[in-house]
Amino acid sequence: MMARIMMAMRGLSKVATQLIALLSLMLVWEVTTHLFQISEDKLPSLSVVLATAWSGRVALLDAVLTTVFEALIGLVAGIAFGVLSGIAFSSFRLLERMLLPYFIASQAVPIIAFGAIIIIWFGNGIASKAVIAFYLSFFPVAVNTLGGIRRVSQDEIGLLRTFGASRLTILWKLQLPTALPPIFTAIRIGAGLALVGAIVGEWFGASRGLGVVLLTAMFDNQVPQLWAAILLTGLTGTVLFWVVVALQRKIAWWQAEV
Amino acid sequence: MTPKIRLQNVSKSFAVGPKSIRTLEDVNLSLKGGDFVTLVGPSGCGKSTLFNILVGLTAPDQGGELYIDGALQPADHLLGRVAFMPQRDMLMPWRTVLDNAILAAEIDGVPKAEARKRALASIDRFGLRGFENHYPNQLSGGMRQRVALMRTFMFEREIMLLDEPFGALDALTRALMQRWLLDVWEGAKRTVLFITHDIDEAIFLGDRVLVMSARPGHIKTELQVPLPRPRHPDVITSPTFVDLKRTLLTAVEDESRKAFAAINQQQLGSEKF
Repeated sequence: MMARIMMAMRGLSKVATQLIALLSLMLVWEVTTHLFQISEDKLPSLSVVLATAWSGRVALLDAVLTTVFEALIGLVAGIAFGVLSGIAFSSFRLLERMLLPYFIASQAVPIIAFGAIIIIWFGNGIASKAVIAFYLSFFPVAVNTLGGIRRVSQDEIGLLRTFGASRLTILWKLQLPTALPPIFTAIRIGAGLALVGAIVGEWFGASRGLGVVLLTAMFDNQVPQLWAAILLTGLTGTVLFWVVVALQRKIAWWQAEV
Repeated sequence: MTPKIRLQNVSKSFAVGPKSIRTLEDVNLSLKGGDFVTLVGPSGCGKSTLFNILVGLTAPDQGGELYIDGALQPADHLLGRVAFMPQRDMLMPWRTVLDNAILAAEIDGVPKAEARKRALASIDRFGLRGFENHYPNQLSGGMRQRVALMRTFMFEREIMLLDEPFGALDALTRALMQRWLLDVWEGAKRTVLFITHDIDEAIFLGDRVLVMSARPGHIKTELQVPLPRPRHPDVITSPTFVDLKRTLLTAVEDESRKAFAAINQQQLGSEKF
């Protein structure tokens, strides 16, 4: 029976199979909660969660947009800083030797440990969340930029030098394009981290955003609202991920994703 | 007549740990303008080092001198003077065929639009018409090599160094590419130094064949190739060709045996420790 279903599904398109999987999951959730009469405080049925989300849609949409905005500002700053420091490290060995250990150490301190300081320094508006998103996302970008530039062989650099290329030309026409696929891989990781950073930042002090919705729902014991916020956070992260993948396929298409 | 390029007593040693390994020893060679000279030698004889010196990537040891058109060239003045084609095509996967072909010209300062126009004008000669906007991963090995050669030709320098450009191709494609290269060369009249492992290829292409010795490399034998141009494919069965081949085979085999023995000895030496 199972085998026959699998056979039949192989003929379907990728989107169709993914849709079937999603609907099945939703069905399992819905049926389980009713079948085992799970209390709404533990796990409300999907229909209740969706209804709650729908009735609070204006506030939820505002929360998503706020958090995404904070995350994106931090991410863009993180990409810029990450790429620049990767270039600097690859160009000056001394700089790498002096500063890279501190880059690594900075990531060993959990953001939870000094979130409060960030709020004291940058206030409880957008800036503090963007700073945390930045803090979490610049590191993978810096490391992959450095690694990507190092992937270029001495032979390739030598060839460009025989054409009379300057160091800047070699960086621009050879090293950065070579590093682009790994940079995008880092951005994919960084996008997820930036979202986490923005939400954590909101926990330390904010009036709007997904983090606020999550926290309020938890303290007020509004479990369906909590689940709605959780689902929405997951959805936001997934969309962000696929946006980066789409960009990667458009801009750094020549190398399969790692 | 002043030679286009002349090397006098060029040597090169590299430090390997506490020891110094001599890869080139007193290389003397000279090429007239428009010459097509081929260079054969055993693996590890320092051919690549020689090429790196000629393009300015490596400086020769003190005492070696390099002249272009009779003028002495400091090593750091050579970058950008000689058109070099390495063994690997090193095409950039993000650039189209056309944009790979213009890379050297573009770096040389030719505006992109102008370089593209020039490339399109000569794309037929390189058998790439219809593939201008393809990417390297869509091409066969022979076509990739032609793009790399086009890039080298478009970097308009009188001296061209080709390092085993057809080494990775199958025999049939290679034969086609050799004939095609001679056609292009006769149209463009550049001075060419061509490295190969293949003795047939060395004779078929060259006005002269140079044989390099085992390490430390120097020019051991030099043979004129008195075959008329343009060369037809059946020239390789002519008695002149076969005679030359016999002489060269003996010379190269001698050197290969020495190189092989040297490697064995090195290994024996290192096993003692």
